[in-house]
Amino acid sequence: MNRALIIGGGLHGLSTALHLARMGGWRVTVLERRHVGRHSSGVNAGGVRRLGRDMREVGLSVIAAEMWANLPKIVGDDGGFRPFGQIKLAESDADLPKLEARAAATRLRGWTHEEIIGRDEVLRLLPAVSPHVRGAMIVRDDGSANPMRTVMAFRRAAMEAGVEIIEGIAVRGLARRPSGTLVVETDRGPMEAERVANCAGAWASGLAAGIGEYLPTTPKASMMIVTERLPFFCLPTVGSAARALSFKQSEVGTVVIGGGHQGANDLVAETSSQNLMNLAKAARIAAEIFPIVAKARIIRSWTGIEARTPDEVPVIGESLVMPGLFHSFGYSGHGFQLCPAAGAAVAELMARGSTNMPVAELSPARFQQQKAAA
Amino acid sequence: MSVVVVGAGPAGVRAVERLVEAGIRPVWIEESPDGGGRVFQKPPPGFSRDAKALYGADAARAQAIHDTVARLRAQVDWRPGTLVWNLRPGPRLLNTQGPDGTTQEVPYERVILCTGAMDRALPIPGWTKPGVTGLGAAQIALKAQGLAIGRRVALCGTGPLLLLLAWQLTKAGAPPALVLESAGWGQTLRAAPGLAWNPVGALRGLAWRAALRRKGVRIHAGALPLRVEGADSAQALLWRDAKGAEHRTEVDGVAIGYGLKPETQLADLAGVPFAFDTLQRLWLPERDRAGRTAVPGVYLAGDGASIGGSVVAELAGTRAALAVIEDAGQPVDPLETDMIHRRLWLEARFRAALERAFPYPAAHAAAMPDETLLCRCEAITAGDLRATDAPEVNRGKAFTRIGMGRCQGRVCGPAGAEVLAAARGCAVQDVGRLRGQMPVKPVVMA
Repeated sequence: MNRALIIGGGLHGLSTALHLARMGGWRVTVLERRHVGRHSSGVNAGGVRRLGRDMREVGLSVIAAEMWANLPKIVGDDGGFRPFGQIKLAESDADLPKLEARAAATRLRGWTHEEIIGRDEVLRLLPAVSPHVRGAMIVRDDGSANPMRTVMAFRRAAMEAGVEIIEGIAVRGLARRPSGTLVVETDRGPMEAERVANCAGAWASGLAAGIGEYLPTTPKASMMIVTERLPFFCLPTVGSAARALSFKQSEVGTVVIGGGHQGANDLVAETSSQNLMNLAKAARIAAEIFPIVAKARIIRSWTGIEARTPDEVPVIGESLVMPGLFHSFGYSGHGFQLCPAAGAAVAELMARGSTNMPVAELSPARFQQQKAAA
Repeated sequence: MSVVVVGAGPAGVRAVERLVEAGIRPVWIEESPDGGGRVFQKPPPGFSRDAKALYGADAARAQAIHDTVARLRAQVDWRPGTLVWNLRPGPRLLNTQGPDGTTQEVPYERVILCTGAMDRALPIPGWTKPGVTGLGAAQIALKAQGLAIGRRVALCGTGPLLLLLAWQLTKAGAPPALVLESAGWGQTLRAAPGLAWNPVGALRGLAWRAALRRKGVRIHAGALPLRVEGADSAQALLWRDAKGAEHRTEVDGVAIGYGLKPETQLADLAGVPFAFDTLQRLWLPERDRAGRTAVPGVYLAGDGASIGGSVVAELAGTRAALAVIEDAGQPVDPLETDMIHRRLWLEARFRAALERAFPYPAAHAAAMPDETLLCRCEAITAGDLRATDAPEVNRGKAFTRIGMGRCQGRVCGPAGAEVLAAARGCAVQDVGRLRGQMPVKPVVMA
């Protein structure tokens, strides 16, 4: 049996571990400093979205969407996935041509999931939306899922596939023996493996820096607020073309508002906190688009820490410094939907050294070139 | 120096009084429309029951607190009807929402949190039916508006509040049909020597008992409520006596409250370290005897820090104000602080004995039937929580949504921890405590 160590028990670590274990011939161990899903994996907004993604990750996202539709077959649970659509609203006449150009560019590459709809169709789909909307771009079978439920489904499936998950173990550093065996230094001593995956989220860039690999990320703490339960008025997840907003009504009636508004984070203390000015901004945008929530009461808010790369798409691929080490991090606030496909891609890279999954444009090499150019 | 006092119960009133004496004009924020706190709850304007009828033996103290509030209002920045829903220790800011819904940032150099306490719930099947309320809530209904929660009322709880409410209802002409005291006589007797630390308080308890007996109200010691029955509202209470026999009593109102729990959310957001208190079986914010915490500029006083009752709250409020004055470099009288420390020490002995005599019925909470609606905001049963493999309460919350609703675990938290600890076979402190998030109570969005 080959040995593989996965650093980080978030969704990407769990998904990578699951897919690798299912390939056979691998003894896979996940090393998690706290507990699985502790940071952004367990507390993100749960958007299952192809809509409006960076073209470099649309291919992976399209594969992930098929996997979400089949999630019960993959992990034995649907993760609370509700395929009620994702909509990006045009709030002004200037927004519409931008959305149309975007959908056309996507179609040009052969993908047909993005559709432009007029004002009447928006009002039909979103009866409670403010009348100032002009139209929208929609992906009808995108949707949203329950992050913690998804984490637990991947955890369960991984364990059933033979993955060992160790919680409460901290990784201190990485090394490579002349034989090619990799050594992961932990607070419980060194562990050896043929392959290692760096899925350490906001802390992954620091691990790479420890072996002299330049993969810059900045920590990110996106804020979410949730209202008390309201009567059901909105099924799709709603965003805006011109403003930062992610808006959805959960299956219990609460309204979850996010959109990448940033709180403060502390990587050393592993905590993040809310920034109220930004939070107020998110609440105001939400109330302008859905007047029904203007008088709703906020019962809770939270943040989760993750990593953002300079170009806002993840780093997926083998280390340029340490062969046998594979990176998968820097999902920049939109990695939740990608997790089934990204895990499969990283697992293939680890087991076979190559993959047919469309991750070439996400390779760590792009930062090497950037560094050389600088 | 900008000083903020949160809360206008006995602790807040005495803190503000002492600050004003030192020439400080604090911002004074109170969530309810007027001062006095829940213990000296005032009736709304237009109600005319006199202080003696409302507060009994504490009438003079209640009157003194109300008079002090009235006198101080003009000397401070008084903000009633205002909720403090967040505290940020870094920039030293409080976020408030006023009676008209407007939000504000209130800066502080030093803040004294006198946030008070709430009922400590014990969920039983049927506890969410109309007609069932908290013991403290039932007392407030009586004090504020002269209301009994029903015509045939069952009171379920433990300790002084249970007896006091039984007596107040009886005096008001609505004697309870059933009083269930969870503590057995044995427990109470074993703690009796400690209760002698406060002979007046202990004797008052005995006097209430005797008076209730004269009026024909019987207190069932060692008795616990099992289930509230009724189609649309409470119609009967199923309960178990000290010998284990089950009874069914027809009632139309049930008040349940097993002691009080401090409102510690602001201290939590401030980052004050918490420690598990084995006597109260609660996580409490750590502070020194003057009310100072490890967080610069944050002071705690009264039942919001640890349950001690209104006498302790008044002393602790004064002491925390003295700490603020002292820390600002002004002189304080060492004789005064020393006297307060001595009195607080004596009261703490009595309080410890009370906790031993009237403990939270943790085993009963831990054994609640699976179908019990543990988290009423999110409709999560005890069985739902037991079915998880959550090793601690935050993951119990993530897996089941328990504590994610409007109350944020303020109501179901302690009982939920008992259920989870019993399911895991560990001590209740080993399942940890819920991470606090702002807002501490719901705030209107825009």
